[in-house]
Amino acid sequence: MEIEIVDYKGANVVVLSGDIDMYSSPILRKQLMLLIDKKVPLLLIDFKAVSYIDSSGIATFVEGLKGMMSYGGRLKLLGIPEGIMEIFNFSKLDRVFEIYGNIDDAFNN
Amino acid sequence: MEKAIEVIGLVTHYGDREILKNISLSIPSGKTTVILGGSGCGKSTLLKHLIGLLKPTRGKILINGKDITVMKDEELDEVRKRMGVLFQGAALLNSMTVSENVALPIREHTRLKESTIQIMVRMKLDLVGLSGFDNFYPSQLSGGMKKRAGLARAMALDPELIFFDEPSAGLDPVTAAGLDELILKLRDVFKMTIVVVTHELPSVFMIADYVIMLDMGDVIFSGTLDELRASDNPRIRMFLERRPEKETYSPEDYFRIIAGD
Repeated sequence: MEIEIVDYKGANVVVLSGDIDMYSSPILRKQLMLLIDKKVPLLLIDFKAVSYIDSSGIATFVEGLKGMMSYGGRLKLLGIPEGIMEIFNFSKLDRVFEIYGNIDDAFNN
Repeated sequence: MEKAIEVIGLVTHYGDREILKNISLSIPSGKTTVILGGSGCGKSTLLKHLIGLLKPTRGKILINGKDITVMKDEELDEVRKRMGVLFQGAALLNSMTVSENVALPIREHTRLKESTIQIMVRMKLDLVGLSGFDNFYPSQLSGGMKKRAGLARAMALDPELIFFDEPSAGLDPVTAAGLDELILKLRDVFKMTIVVVTHELPSVFMIADYVIMLDMGDVIFSGTLDELRASDNPRIRMFLERRPEKETYSPEDYFRIIAGD
């Protein structure tokens, strides 16, 4: 998995690529927690280039969302590929996370 | 058909008795394969070989193209991390709560933080319908709940391959059907390769994409459910139509056996 953090109109966008699995989730968690500890108001996660996510990856985002909700921050997921979306749907997390098709929709809503 | 597992010329013995007689078979990727057969046909022995618990007398077992029969323990452990097994009795550790049982493989094999592990455990328990039972001990669960807890633990590391040994054994028909539905969900959502050893016909017809039938240590059928239904093999017909075995020996032979000749 690769992680890149870029700026989009003043918001932090975490651009992910590759597999988010038991080996890479701790690295992702560390990066997310660094931002959440700074109480960033908005965090966008770009999934477009993610090829696989396992339950440790999903749990990492659940932890991230819980952390952001504690101070009123918003975590938004975007560009989730179909196969990964199925897992979000199945676990009912599609109703918990804010999920958008592209970065403009995620930023503007 | 993409193969998840390939068994080539497998021969195995318990003492002098030959249990699997030079069998070869393939298990397709991303499908549910049922290994079917009567009691004592060798299906549980085959399962123990597929998960690397037993070494065969001869033959190869290729998992993702690698022969597990010649692997050293460390290499086999790596393969096993990508497998989940639901044993017949669920094999939960009685001194641990349900949540600790499910967390055990994650704690053993990953460096995830405890907070992440706890979320994963709750996700797995919810998947098998055991939300809220985190702090129960196995002795406080029914048979069906134990199986589901065992399945949550088998799923803990998100395996590519999951094995079920007689999942319906000892369960009432409604609970057994619920477990079958869960098996189908795992295949459809997580694209897992699932191998189920059973002799329960209703379960076979509900979950199988592919069937392998063993009889007295030989593979007598491998194919789809429709092909199984259409088979005119007398042993398969007996099994499907639930006809009992005929007497296998004469009264004279029986006398010789019990007289010790």
